[in-house]
Amino acid sequence: MENMNQEEKVISLPRIGDTAPNFEAETTHGTLRLEDFKGSWVVLFSHPADFTPVCTTEFIAFQEIADELRDLNTELLGLSVDSVHSHIAWVRNVKEKMGVELTFPIIADLNKDVAKKYGMIMPGESTTETSRAVFVIDDKQIVRAVIYYPLSTGRNMPEILRLIKGLQTTDEHGVATPANWEPGEKVIVPPPKTQEEAEERANDDSVECTDWYFCKKQL
Amino acid sequence: MACVNGNGKLTQSAKNILQAVENSPKSPADLSRELAIPMFKIRSSMRDMASMGLVQETEGAYQLAPGGKKMLDKSN
Repeated sequence: MENMNQEEKVISLPRIGDTAPNFEAETTHGTLRLEDFKGSWVVLFSHPADFTPVCTTEFIAFQEIADELRDLNTELLGLSVDSVHSHIAWVRNVKEKMGVELTFPIIADLNKDVAKKYGMIMPGESTTETSRAVFVIDDKQIVRAVIYYPLSTGRNMPEILRLIKGLQTTDEHGVATPANWEPGEKVIVPPPKTQEEAEERANDDSVECTDWYFCKKQL
Repeated sequence: MACVNGNGKLTQSAKNILQAVENSPKSPADLSRELAIPMFKIRSSMRDMASMGLVQETEGAYQLAPGGKKMLDKSN
Protein backbone atom coordinates (compact mmCIF):
# COMPACT_ATOMS: atom_id res chain seq x y z
CA MET A 1 0.00 0.00 0.00
CA GLU A 2 2.75 2.48 0.89
CA ASN A 3 4.41 2.03 -2.51
CA MET A 4 1.18 2.75 -4.32
CA ASN A 5 1.30 5.96 -6.32
CA GLN A 6 -1.05 8.81 -5.60
CA GLU A 7 -3.31 8.09 -8.58
CA GLU A 8 -4.03 4.57 -7.33
CA LYS A 9 -4.62 5.73 -3.77
CA VAL A 10 -7.27 8.31 -4.62
CA ILE A 11 -10.18 6.07 -5.47
CA SER A 12 -13.56 7.47 -4.52
CA LEU A 13 -16.96 6.09 -5.26
CA PRO A 14 -20.12 7.87 -6.32
CA ARG A 15 -22.47 8.04 -3.37
CA ILE A 16 -26.19 7.42 -3.19
CA GLY A 17 -27.98 10.45 -4.63
CA ASP A 18 -25.04 11.52 -6.82
CA THR A 19 -25.33 11.74 -10.58
CA ALA A 20 -23.66 8.60 -11.91
CA PRO A 21 -20.37 9.53 -13.63
CA ASN A 22 -20.72 9.27 -17.40
CA PHE A 23 -18.23 7.22 -19.38
CA GLU A 24 -17.60 5.89 -22.83
CA ALA A 25 -16.26 2.35 -22.91
CA GLU A 26 -15.58 -0.55 -25.23
CA THR A 27 -17.96 -3.41 -24.52
CA THR A 28 -18.95 -6.74 -26.01
CA HIS A 29 -21.83 -4.82 -27.64
CA GLY A 30 -19.68 -2.05 -29.13
CA THR A 31 -18.87 1.37 -27.72
CA LEU A 32 -21.36 2.37 -25.05
CA ARG A 33 -21.83 5.49 -22.95
CA LEU A 34 -23.69 5.52 -19.67
CA GLU A 35 -25.93 8.21 -21.16
CA ASP A 36 -27.09 5.65 -23.76
CA PHE A 37 -29.08 4.07 -20.90
CA LYS A 38 -31.06 7.23 -20.02
CA GLY A 39 -34.70 6.32 -19.47
CA SER A 40 -33.80 2.86 -18.19
CA TRP A 41 -32.50 1.74 -14.82
CA VAL A 42 -29.05 0.15 -14.93
CA VAL A 43 -27.35 -2.45 -12.77
CA LEU A 44 -23.66 -1.63 -13.36
CA PHE A 45 -21.65 -4.42 -11.80
CA SER A 46 -17.97 -5.33 -11.73
CA HIS A 47 -16.34 -8.71 -11.34
CA PRO A 48 -12.70 -9.63 -10.66
CA ALA A 49 -11.82 -11.48 -13.87
CA ASP A 50 -13.10 -13.55 -16.77
CA PHE A 51 -12.65 -17.34 -16.65
CA THR A 52 -12.89 -17.52 -12.85
CA PRO A 53 -15.43 -19.78 -11.14
CA VAL A 54 -17.28 -17.44 -8.78
CA CYS A 55 -17.65 -14.85 -11.55
CA THR A 56 -18.98 -17.50 -13.91
CA THR A 57 -21.68 -18.48 -11.40
CA GLU A 58 -22.57 -14.82 -10.93
CA PHE A 59 -22.82 -14.09 -14.66
CA ILE A 60 -25.08 -17.08 -15.16
CA ALA A 61 -27.18 -15.90 -12.19
CA PHE A 62 -27.36 -12.34 -13.58
CA GLN A 63 -28.50 -13.76 -16.91
CA GLU A 64 -31.19 -15.76 -15.13
CA ILE A 65 -32.73 -12.54 -13.75
CA ALA A 66 -32.23 -10.52 -16.96
CA ASP A 67 -35.80 -10.99 -18.19
CA GLU A 68 -37.27 -10.02 -14.83
CA LEU A 69 -35.00 -6.98 -14.76
CA ARG A 70 -36.11 -6.03 -18.28
CA ASP A 71 -39.70 -6.12 -17.01
CA LEU A 72 -38.56 -3.59 -14.39
CA ASN A 73 -37.12 -1.38 -17.16
CA THR A 74 -33.63 -2.30 -15.95
CA GLU A 75 -30.57 -3.21 -18.03
CA LEU A 76 -27.48 -5.13 -16.92
CA LEU A 77 -23.98 -3.83 -17.65
CA GLY A 78 -20.98 -5.88 -16.49
CA LEU A 79 -17.35 -4.78 -16.15
CA SER A 80 -13.90 -6.16 -15.47
CA VAL A 81 -10.28 -5.29 -16.16
CA ASP A 82 -10.12 -7.64 -19.17
CA SER A 83 -10.04 -7.12 -22.93
CA VAL A 84 -13.06 -7.36 -25.24
CA HIS A 85 -11.49 -10.48 -26.75
CA SER A 86 -11.24 -12.10 -23.32
CA HIS A 87 -14.89 -11.20 -22.61
CA ILE A 88 -16.00 -12.62 -25.98
CA ALA A 89 -14.04 -15.85 -25.40
CA TRP A 90 -15.53 -16.20 -21.90
CA VAL A 91 -19.10 -15.50 -23.11
CA ARG A 92 -18.62 -18.15 -25.82
CA ASN A 93 -17.16 -20.56 -23.24
CA VAL A 94 -20.11 -20.08 -20.88
CA LYS A 95 -22.49 -20.79 -23.76
CA GLU A 96 -20.55 -23.87 -24.88
CA LYS A 97 -19.84 -25.39 -21.46
CA MET A 98 -22.79 -24.24 -19.36
CA GLY A 99 -25.43 -23.75 -22.05
CA VAL A 100 -26.17 -20.16 -21.00
CA GLU A 101 -26.08 -17.25 -23.45
CA LEU A 102 -25.02 -14.01 -21.76
CA THR A 103 -27.02 -11.33 -23.55
CA PHE A 104 -25.97 -8.20 -21.65
CA PRO A 105 -22.93 -6.05 -22.52
CA ILE A 106 -19.65 -6.34 -20.60
CA ILE A 107 -17.25 -3.40 -20.38
CA ALA A 108 -13.60 -4.11 -21.21
CA ASP A 109 -12.01 -1.73 -18.71
CA LEU A 110 -8.36 -2.51 -19.43
CA ASN A 111 -7.14 0.96 -18.43
CA LYS A 112 -9.46 0.94 -15.35
CA ASP A 113 -11.05 4.26 -16.38
CA VAL A 114 -14.56 3.25 -15.35
CA ALA A 115 -13.40 1.21 -12.34
CA LYS A 116 -11.58 4.27 -10.96
CA LYS A 117 -14.56 6.56 -11.55
CA TYR A 118 -16.77 4.19 -9.60
CA GLY A 119 -14.26 3.16 -6.91
CA MET A 120 -14.53 -0.49 -7.90
CA ILE A 121 -10.96 -1.39 -6.97
CA MET A 122 -10.25 -2.23 -3.33
CA PRO A 123 -6.45 -1.89 -3.10
CA GLY A 124 -6.33 -3.74 0.22
CA GLU A 125 -7.73 -6.80 -1.55
CA SER A 126 -6.33 -6.45 -5.07
CA THR A 127 -4.81 -3.63 -7.11
CA THR A 128 -5.34 -5.42 -10.42
CA GLU A 129 -8.89 -6.75 -10.14
CA THR A 130 -12.22 -5.04 -9.56
CA SER A 131 -14.19 -6.13 -6.51
CA ARG A 132 -17.78 -7.31 -6.76
CA ALA A 133 -19.46 -3.90 -6.87
CA VAL A 134 -23.07 -3.19 -7.84
CA PHE A 135 -24.30 0.30 -8.67
CA VAL A 136 -28.04 0.64 -9.12
CA ILE A 137 -28.56 3.69 -11.34
CA ASP A 138 -32.07 4.98 -12.00
CA ASP A 139 -33.67 6.17 -15.22
CA LYS A 140 -32.44 9.73 -14.54
CA GLN A 141 -28.86 8.45 -14.08
CA ILE A 142 -28.82 8.97 -10.31
CA VAL A 143 -27.01 6.43 -8.12
CA ARG A 144 -29.73 4.86 -5.98
CA ALA A 145 -27.88 2.02 -4.26
CA VAL A 146 -24.35 0.67 -3.93
CA ILE A 147 -23.40 -2.87 -2.89
CA TYR A 148 -19.90 -4.24 -2.40
CA TYR A 149 -18.93 -7.88 -1.99
CA PRO A 150 -15.40 -9.25 -1.59
CA LEU A 151 -13.61 -11.37 -4.19
CA SER A 152 -14.45 -14.59 -2.34
CA THR A 153 -18.23 -14.24 -2.11
CA GLY A 154 -20.75 -14.35 -4.94
CA ARG A 155 -23.65 -11.91 -4.92
CA ASN A 156 -27.31 -12.63 -4.20
CA MET A 157 -29.57 -12.02 -7.19
CA PRO A 158 -32.91 -12.12 -5.29
CA GLU A 159 -31.62 -9.26 -3.12
CA ILE A 160 -30.68 -7.19 -6.17
CA LEU A 161 -34.17 -7.76 -7.60
CA ARG A 162 -35.78 -6.97 -4.24
CA LEU A 163 -33.73 -3.78 -3.96
CA ILE A 164 -34.79 -2.50 -7.38
CA LYS A 165 -38.44 -3.37 -6.75
CA GLY A 166 -38.22 -1.55 -3.40
CA LEU A 167 -36.67 1.56 -4.95
CA GLN A 168 -39.24 1.66 -7.74
CA THR A 169 -42.07 1.18 -5.23
CA THR A 170 -40.70 4.10 -3.21
CA ASP A 171 -40.61 6.28 -6.34
CA GLU A 172 -44.10 5.33 -7.44
CA HIS A 173 -45.91 5.52 -4.11
CA GLY A 174 -43.79 7.80 -1.87
CA VAL A 175 -43.39 5.08 0.76
CA ALA A 176 -40.51 3.17 2.33
CA THR A 177 -40.05 -0.59 2.60
CA PRO A 178 -39.32 -2.47 5.83
CA ALA A 179 -36.70 -5.12 6.56
CA ASN A 180 -37.05 -8.24 4.41
CA TRP A 181 -39.91 -6.62 2.46
CA GLU A 182 -41.10 -8.44 -0.61
CA PRO A 183 -43.49 -7.06 -3.26
CA GLY A 184 -47.11 -7.46 -2.15
CA GLU A 185 -46.30 -6.97 1.52
CA LYS A 186 -47.22 -3.88 3.54
CA VAL A 187 -45.07 -0.78 3.09
CA ILE A 188 -44.08 1.90 5.56
CA VAL A 189 -45.75 5.31 5.47
CA PRO A 190 -43.23 8.11 6.07
CA PRO A 191 -43.51 9.46 9.64
CA PRO A 192 -45.39 12.75 10.13
CA LYS A 193 -43.17 15.83 10.11
CA THR A 194 -45.32 18.10 12.27
CA GLN A 195 -47.49 17.72 15.35
CA GLU A 196 -50.56 18.52 13.25
CA GLU A 197 -49.69 15.73 10.80
CA ALA A 198 -49.13 13.38 13.75
CA GLU A 199 -52.63 14.12 15.09
CA GLU A 200 -54.14 13.60 11.64
CA ARG A 201 -52.21 10.36 11.20
CA ALA A 202 -53.56 9.09 14.51
CA ASN A 203 -57.09 9.46 13.10
CA ASP A 204 -56.31 8.12 9.63
CA ASP A 205 -58.13 4.81 9.10
CA SER A 206 -56.33 4.09 5.82
CA VAL A 207 -53.06 3.22 7.59
CA GLU A 208 -52.27 0.69 10.32
CA CYS A 209 -50.30 2.41 13.07
CA THR A 210 -48.48 0.79 15.98
CA ASP A 211 -47.65 4.29 17.13
CA TRP A 212 -47.86 7.72 15.51
CA TYR A 213 -44.44 7.35 13.84
CA PHE A 214 -44.73 3.67 12.89
CA CYS A 215 -47.46 3.13 10.31
CA LYS A 216 -47.85 0.65 7.49
CA LYS A 217 -50.31 0.24 4.66
CA GLN A 218 -51.15 -2.17 1.90
CA LEU A 219 -50.67 -0.73 -1.56
CA MET B 1 -17.10 -0.30 -35.86
CA ALA B 2 -19.73 -2.69 -34.54
CA CYS B 3 -21.98 -2.15 -37.56
CA VAL B 4 -19.51 -3.49 -40.16
CA ASN B 5 -17.96 -6.96 -40.14
CA GLY B 6 -14.43 -8.06 -41.08
CA ASN B 7 -15.37 -8.21 -44.77
CA GLY B 8 -16.47 -4.60 -44.79
CA LYS B 9 -20.11 -5.64 -45.02
CA LEU B 10 -22.96 -4.62 -42.74
CA THR B 11 -23.69 -6.79 -39.72
CA GLN B 12 -27.21 -8.20 -39.65
CA SER B 13 -28.30 -5.83 -36.88
CA ALA B 14 -26.92 -2.80 -38.77
CA LYS B 15 -28.70 -3.95 -41.90
CA ASN B 16 -31.97 -4.25 -39.99
CA ILE B 17 -31.60 -0.73 -38.61
CA LEU B 18 -30.71 0.81 -41.98
CA GLN B 19 -33.66 -0.92 -43.64
CA ALA B 20 -35.92 0.46 -40.90
CA VAL B 21 -34.88 4.05 -41.70
CA GLU B 22 -34.73 3.55 -45.47
CA ASN B 23 -38.08 5.12 -46.28
CA SER B 24 -38.74 7.51 -43.42
CA PRO B 25 -36.84 9.13 -40.54
CA LYS B 26 -37.32 7.46 -37.17
CA SER B 27 -36.45 8.35 -33.59
CA PRO B 28 -34.39 5.96 -31.43
CA ALA B 29 -37.57 5.18 -29.46
CA ASP B 30 -39.42 4.26 -32.68
CA LEU B 31 -36.55 2.03 -33.77
CA SER B 32 -36.31 0.40 -30.34
CA ARG B 33 -40.01 -0.49 -30.46
CA GLU B 34 -40.04 -1.58 -34.10
CA LEU B 35 -36.92 -3.75 -33.93
CA ALA B 36 -37.32 -4.89 -30.30
CA ILE B 37 -33.79 -3.73 -29.53
CA PRO B 38 -33.00 -1.98 -26.21
CA MET B 39 -32.66 1.81 -26.43
CA PHE B 40 -29.02 1.79 -25.31
CA LYS B 41 -28.08 -0.41 -28.26
CA ILE B 42 -30.01 1.76 -30.71
CA ARG B 43 -28.35 4.94 -29.40
CA SER B 44 -24.90 3.36 -29.60
CA SER B 45 -25.50 1.95 -33.08
CA MET B 46 -26.88 5.24 -34.43
CA ARG B 47 -23.84 7.09 -33.08
CA ASP B 48 -21.54 4.61 -34.83
CA MET B 49 -23.50 4.72 -38.06
CA ALA B 50 -23.73 8.52 -38.06
CA SER B 51 -19.94 8.76 -37.60
CA MET B 52 -19.52 6.48 -40.64
CA GLY B 53 -21.93 8.52 -42.75
CA LEU B 54 -24.48 5.69 -42.97
CA VAL B 55 -27.30 7.68 -41.37
CA GLN B 56 -27.98 11.33 -40.71
CA GLU B 57 -29.80 12.83 -37.79
CA THR B 58 -32.29 15.69 -38.02
CA GLU B 59 -34.16 16.92 -34.95
CA GLY B 60 -33.73 13.66 -33.09
CA ALA B 61 -34.79 11.41 -35.97
CA TYR B 62 -32.46 9.30 -38.13
CA GLN B 63 -32.70 8.63 -41.83
CA LEU B 64 -30.64 6.75 -44.35
CA ALA B 65 -27.65 8.73 -45.70
CA PRO B 66 -26.15 8.17 -49.18
CA GLY B 67 -23.33 6.12 -47.60
CA GLY B 68 -25.85 3.89 -45.89
CA LYS B 69 -27.81 3.42 -49.14
CA LYS B 70 -24.60 2.33 -50.86
CA MET B 71 -23.79 -0.17 -48.08
CA LEU B 72 -27.34 -1.54 -48.09
CA ASP B 73 -27.28 -2.02 -51.87
CA LYS B 74 -23.91 -3.79 -51.54
CA SER B 75 -25.20 -6.16 -48.89
CA ASN B 76 -28.37 -7.16 -50.77
